[in-house]
Amino acid sequence: MKLLSILLMLILLSSNVSAIAYCSLRDPVSQIAKLYPQKTNQLSIVKTVDDNTRAQVKIALPSNDLHFSELGRHTLYIAMLGKNSLGYVHVRSEQSDWGLVEIVWAIDKELRISNFTFQRCRSPKNKKIAEGSDFKDIFIGKNYQELKELLSNDGVTANKYVLDKAQDAPELANVVLRCALKSLLLTEILWGKELKKL
Amino acid sequence: MKPLLFKSCIGYLLFFLAAISTTCYANFSQNLRWSLDGSFRLNHNESLDNTSRIYALGLDTHKVFTSPTGDIGYGVGQLYYTKLSNHIPVPFLFTSKDDSEFIIREAHLNYTAGPNWLPNIRVGHFTLPFGLEESIDTNGRLLDYYHGKNLGTKLDWGLSLNKVMSHLEYNVSYTLGGKDKAKSVDGSYAVTARIGSLSHLDFVLGLSVLNGKIDGISRKRIALDWQYYYTTWGLLGELAIGENNNQLQGWQEEKYSLVELNKTIINNQLKLYSQFIFRDIKSQESADKLVNIGFSYQISTQFELSMSGVKQINTPVSGKKKQLARVQIRYRY
Repeated sequence: MKLLSILLMLILLSSNVSAIAYCSLRDPVSQIAKLYPQKTNQLSIVKTVDDNTRAQVKIALPSNDLHFSELGRHTLYIAMLGKNSLGYVHVRSEQSDWGLVEIVWAIDKELRISNFTFQRCRSPKNKKIAEGSDFKDIFIGKNYQELKELLSNDGVTANKYVLDKAQDAPELANVVLRCALKSLLLTEILWGKELKKL
Repeated sequence: MKPLLFKSCIGYLLFFLAAISTTCYANFSQNLRWSLDGSFRLNHNESLDNTSRIYALGLDTHKVFTSPTGDIGYGVGQLYYTKLSNHIPVPFLFTSKDDSEFIIREAHLNYTAGPNWLPNIRVGHFTLPFGLEESIDTNGRLLDYYHGKNLGTKLDWGLSLNKVMSHLEYNVSYTLGGKDKAKSVDGSYAVTARIGSLSHLDFVLGLSVLNGKIDGISRKRIALDWQYYYTTWGLLGELAIGENNNQLQGWQEEKYSLVELNKTIINNQLKLYSQFIFRDIKSQESADKLVNIGFSYQISTQFELSMSGVKQINTPVSGKKKQLARVQIRYRY
């Protein structure tokens, strides 16, 4: 009975959580090192993606939604060189024709994309194209507003400029663009205040 | 490692983490994840003509400890109240088929703040670093890679050195062999290690070894595991060979292999898998060959439904082929 009371109390206090057990969580250590080779450590800040966050994304990016597995606690990593921050790392999943694609975004202090790499992209052809500098250049150096201008009128696919540059990988370009926009938007919504204090 | 030295290491690390966490810049609730995890599992064992149920309700927590210059480490704690109903054979953690117990699953601290060349240090109750289970967590799921059957236990109390490097990851542990007990029982111990390519890649290859004594049985194992993913398909395998010595029969060779083909739909909501399991123990007249087919369906962020069916292909000496059907509904809040 005592146990049930405690658990009931915990339920009332609890927030949205991940659908997977926490023992399976792993930091993207090798990717952070790849994006910030000079970093000495990383600093994690965990925040909650809830229904309110999801609604804000839908307003800012109509026709877009967050994947159901994104509701819950998420980590933004700050790449550290001693006591100084080098930039931020945000890992997000985006649905594609070949399953969920996990992209590790390096974001500078002005919240522009500074680089990215793939933690999971189970389409070897697309992954090869995506790691190429021509493809990456479409996104690198751009902030949220600049990336939003790359969307076509439907709000979910990339415009002609991006698709021309992406050549053989139009679907990949759409996925990466949507993921970049949501990553920068979520970084601002969830971690913006905290990052300004650093 | 001598017991006194081992205990000193654990004591030092626990003290260090406890002390540093009180002075770090974040308070305890920051960077803390926790959820309630409840599940109901219905099992029908055709060979025993028995239907049983397992109820579990627990707290799953994950906390990152930080300082102004970065992360110090993280802790995982999973405590579950588990109730059996007519469950046979009775699992080692329970005393009867209707027993109930508080069970600690994972409970460990991993110190990660050392320089790049130093490994992370994990202390506590953790899954032995061996084979596929090292990169695919099966705690609380119907999906299983049969760690317990192959190694003598899935989780154990002890210490591990682990690291993810640019092209490799490794995990080496020394544990006490007491399984749920944080002590050595009748000289029990386990040294387990796995080295492999990075576990998030499309092709993962790992090599594992184990040398230990658990439940009075000495075990030696060496295993190769692999995972290959192409779009929404996965082909996984584990091949382990070794020997057991239970003192009555002397050293007996054992071979174990598992091959899994899985398919995940593009939004990750449904995962289907089929496994072929082969286990050959020299003292047995014939090798066990089993097929396991199952799926898990994530109904919502909180609800997951999973089912699996195991069927033995070969006929064992007893004449009763293993046939097990299981259904589980799990809710995480």
